[in-house]
Amino acid sequence: MAVQAIDDGDVAPVRRGMGPTSQGIITAIILLICGALVIYPLFFLFAESLNIGDPQTFPPETIGFGNYADMLFDWRIIGNTLKVALFSTGIAVTIGFILAWILTRTEIPGRAILERLMEIPFYVTPLVGALSWSILAAPQSGFLNQAWAYLGGSGSIVDIYTPMGVAWVMALFEGSVAFVMISAAMKSMDPALEEGSRVLGASKLRTMLRVTLPLVAPGVLGAAIFVFAEMLGSFAAALVLGIPGHFYVITTAIWELTLSYPPDYGRASALGISLFVIMFITLAAYRWLVSKGAYSTISGKAFRPRRMEMGRWTWVLAAFCWLYVLVSVLLPLGALLLTSFQRFATVLMHQAQFTMQNYVTAFSLASIRDAIVNSLVLGVGTASIGVFVMVLLVWIIYRSRLPGAGVIEYVIMFPQAVPRMVFGLAILWAWLNMPVSLYGTLWLLGIGYFTVLLPLGVRTLAGVVLQVDKSLEECARVCGASWTHQLRTVTLPLLKPGILAAWLLLFIASVRELGVSIYLMGPNSKVIAPAIVSSWSSAGTELTAAMAVIQTLTIFICVMLMFWATARLTNQGKST
Amino acid sequence: MKQAERIAPAPQGAAAAKRSTTVPQPRPQPHIVISDLVVKYHAYTAVHGVSFEVPKGEHLTLLGPSGCGKTTTLRSIAGLEQPFSGEIVIDGEPVFSSRRRINVPTEKRGVSMVFQSYAIWPHMSVFENVAYGLRVRKMPTEAMRAAVEKSLDLVQMKRYADRPAAQLSGGQQQRVALARAIAFEPSVILFDEPLSNLDAKLRGEMRVELKDLQRTLGISSVYVTHDQEEAFAISDRVVIMNEGRIEQIGSPRDIYDRPRNSFVADFVGSANLIKGQVEGSPSADGNFLFRTADGLTLKAFSPRPPRGNETQVAIRTAYIGVGATAVSQANRIEGRVARRMFHGDFVQYLIDWSPGQLVVRRPPAEIIEEGEDVIIAFEAEHCVLLEAESA
Repeated sequence: MAVQAIDDGDVAPVRRGMGPTSQGIITAIILLICGALVIYPLFFLFAESLNIGDPQTFPPETIGFGNYADMLFDWRIIGNTLKVALFSTGIAVTIGFILAWILTRTEIPGRAILERLMEIPFYVTPLVGALSWSILAAPQSGFLNQAWAYLGGSGSIVDIYTPMGVAWVMALFEGSVAFVMISAAMKSMDPALEEGSRVLGASKLRTMLRVTLPLVAPGVLGAAIFVFAEMLGSFAAALVLGIPGHFYVITTAIWELTLSYPPDYGRASALGISLFVIMFITLAAYRWLVSKGAYSTISGKAFRPRRMEMGRWTWVLAAFCWLYVLVSVLLPLGALLLTSFQRFATVLMHQAQFTMQNYVTAFSLASIRDAIVNSLVLGVGTASIGVFVMVLLVWIIYRSRLPGAGVIEYVIMFPQAVPRMVFGLAILWAWLNMPVSLYGTLWLLGIGYFTVLLPLGVRTLAGVVLQVDKSLEECARVCGASWTHQLRTVTLPLLKPGILAAWLLLFIASVRELGVSIYLMGPNSKVIAPAIVSSWSSAGTELTAAMAVIQTLTIFICVMLMFWATARLTNQGKST
Repeated sequence: MKQAERIAPAPQGAAAAKRSTTVPQPRPQPHIVISDLVVKYHAYTAVHGVSFEVPKGEHLTLLGPSGCGKTTTLRSIAGLEQPFSGEIVIDGEPVFSSRRRINVPTEKRGVSMVFQSYAIWPHMSVFENVAYGLRVRKMPTEAMRAAVEKSLDLVQMKRYADRPAAQLSGGQQQRVALARAIAFEPSVILFDEPLSNLDAKLRGEMRVELKDLQRTLGISSVYVTHDQEEAFAISDRVVIMNEGRIEQIGSPRDIYDRPRNSFVADFVGSANLIKGQVEGSPSADGNFLFRTADGLTLKAFSPRPPRGNETQVAIRTAYIGVGATAVSQANRIEGRVARRMFHGDFVQYLIDWSPGQLVVRRPPAEIIEEGEDVIIAFEAEHCVLLEAESA
């Protein structure tokens, strides 16, 4: 199914008497737009990072590497970033590995429900996680410290406003990602390899340490590198928990530089570009590791898992899983929910004054209500347009045999290597210097969301599209259908459940978006996540908690719908 | 070049180019003409300059081991692969020509195809699947309904019309795929290993049905398979392909009896290949003498004048008589039964004779014991000279 219009080489065939095909035109337009959306902002960011003259003018009048040299003065910030990222990666991967091993290799009660619960931290936004943990563990006022004082302890037992606190919260919520990646590696390992060790007389612990661990080591390493890259670019936890204690990482430093007066966009851009380079190298290392076939001991096929009976250890292992659920889901969300219904946040029930006022305020205060409505509108818009364009993109990249499809895939996946808020800054710069004035409108936010969500959407939809046998589409062509007719009558209907799931995923990602939104929203285009941040710093904890609950609830409803859609997709797959 | 039956380039005359329908054709044109087809995937060449033609109403099969380029050739006819060079003409109209920069998209080629995976759309009913090609052609509802019923009737699936396609068994899906392929009355149907996913018994039944259907409709068809039994049973002519090239084109009987080279002799049926050289010159009827490496002289046959560089003859295992069935007077040689293996439909003997070991297959009715000294005999025309391997 070659693309007739834009084929190169000496055999470029032409349809007689008809211009370029609709397929060719659509392909060219989509590629141009998406390419521009990704590349253009980064170009602006790079240009600005070389600006050592007046940071407010563009294009720069004086060009030099001064902003990069200035980073030497920021060495403590870079050090902080690496320290927090390494530390939290260590915790997250350890948690992820132990959880993955327990849930794929041992027999514990309530395994099915635990597996589902493990996914929840992934859908709680890091921002909400950080807020909840500050409610739990702020010095003095934190619930844990309140309880400690009530029980007669002196001082605070925990303080979340520390580098350790930032790393802890980041680790808790990325632990879920590490779990998913490592358990995928474990599921693709032949259990006979472990059984062999047991048959030869090794204990369960020895088997885990000498067989399981070395075999999944490449998978664990891959997960570690991936999580590390995510940590480098993470913003929310450091924003909520780091800034009160004057602890800065690169992302929050960029934020401060752009907020200060006059904003130092040049230096912020240089830091952003540097962070992007580090993240890019890290992710390239990850891709290389995966492609090199470091997984060669592990075949591609999924094995039926065989689980070990752990005897009296069973309860210890189950307790570990529930402990993770407790600290990553139950405690934080419980604290958040409790606070949202109180006049003053407290865990001591005899002092509590319950009220609905926070929710009433959230829905009646114009700025907050607008933020909620805007987020929903943007979510629906981004998801709807996004899914449509991304399906076409996936088709072009993986099915059309267009020359250079690999390059397109690379460009589309690019935003993944750029920290969200750096991309937000880049988009802001690019559009401030555009003749069309979109700044301060929802359109700009929509464009930003679409761009940064390209990798997520394309990856999700690729999984869906590639499930559909190619000959189903080819057959439509042979029966006489044009490309557009084939898309409409065969491809899209077959993809429906998968597309619904991808739509919900994009909607969720839009509603929880912070890094891009924080730069692109204007006074008349507020959205929920940045509104939560500003409410946190200006209004009370209780109102912020109510807003966070509203956001989280919206997301959870969508997650439920998504699970339902995915289940339907698998059922359809079975019946065909 | 290995191609003996190399076809002259398709007529490029004024009639073909102008494709005027009023001028009567001087002689019936072949329905499909493939000339010098080359298909490349990046650096890898899947098809190296293949040429053949399909006369109207013929059932032609491309047969070869996996990776020989047969499916690629078929998909090129459908327009699902873009060839690197060459020309494909259907009904006198070029649908692909690298020289004239023509590439008609799949949907405008008017061919139909049955896919290996059936490609039944699971989100439609059986009726909608079959009606698809008719709806695309904007056929009026009544006529469409009648056409769908007619083709479902032909494959005996009429009563399943309202079923969701996802609920059909493999054999039923196969029939629906067939009905869909014939519903819009295409002049050409392409089959991409359509029976390979069926179990052996069903495959046998479907072969008969396919052949019947083919006769009823009189459609030209190109069929791809790696199963030589299937190819022989249903085809008018067979094209043997290997590594992107054509090894031989001919009727099933022709290919079985007169394999052109050792690849064909080996891939199709079972044969003994015996090394040696041509002695003297052949007689007018193609018979000649062949001296084996150990000095035995065999009366052999060559369908073409020998070039003198040939080093092998092939003898089909089924054409050799042993003991009581050794009736031929042309070649009679002594041997001893070394092994006997009972296969059911036939018994395979390994017989020691002077050039080495000879494989013989006989019906199970006549059993010879291991260790018995026997006479083996075969006709000169069954001892066929093979073309020398080209470097």
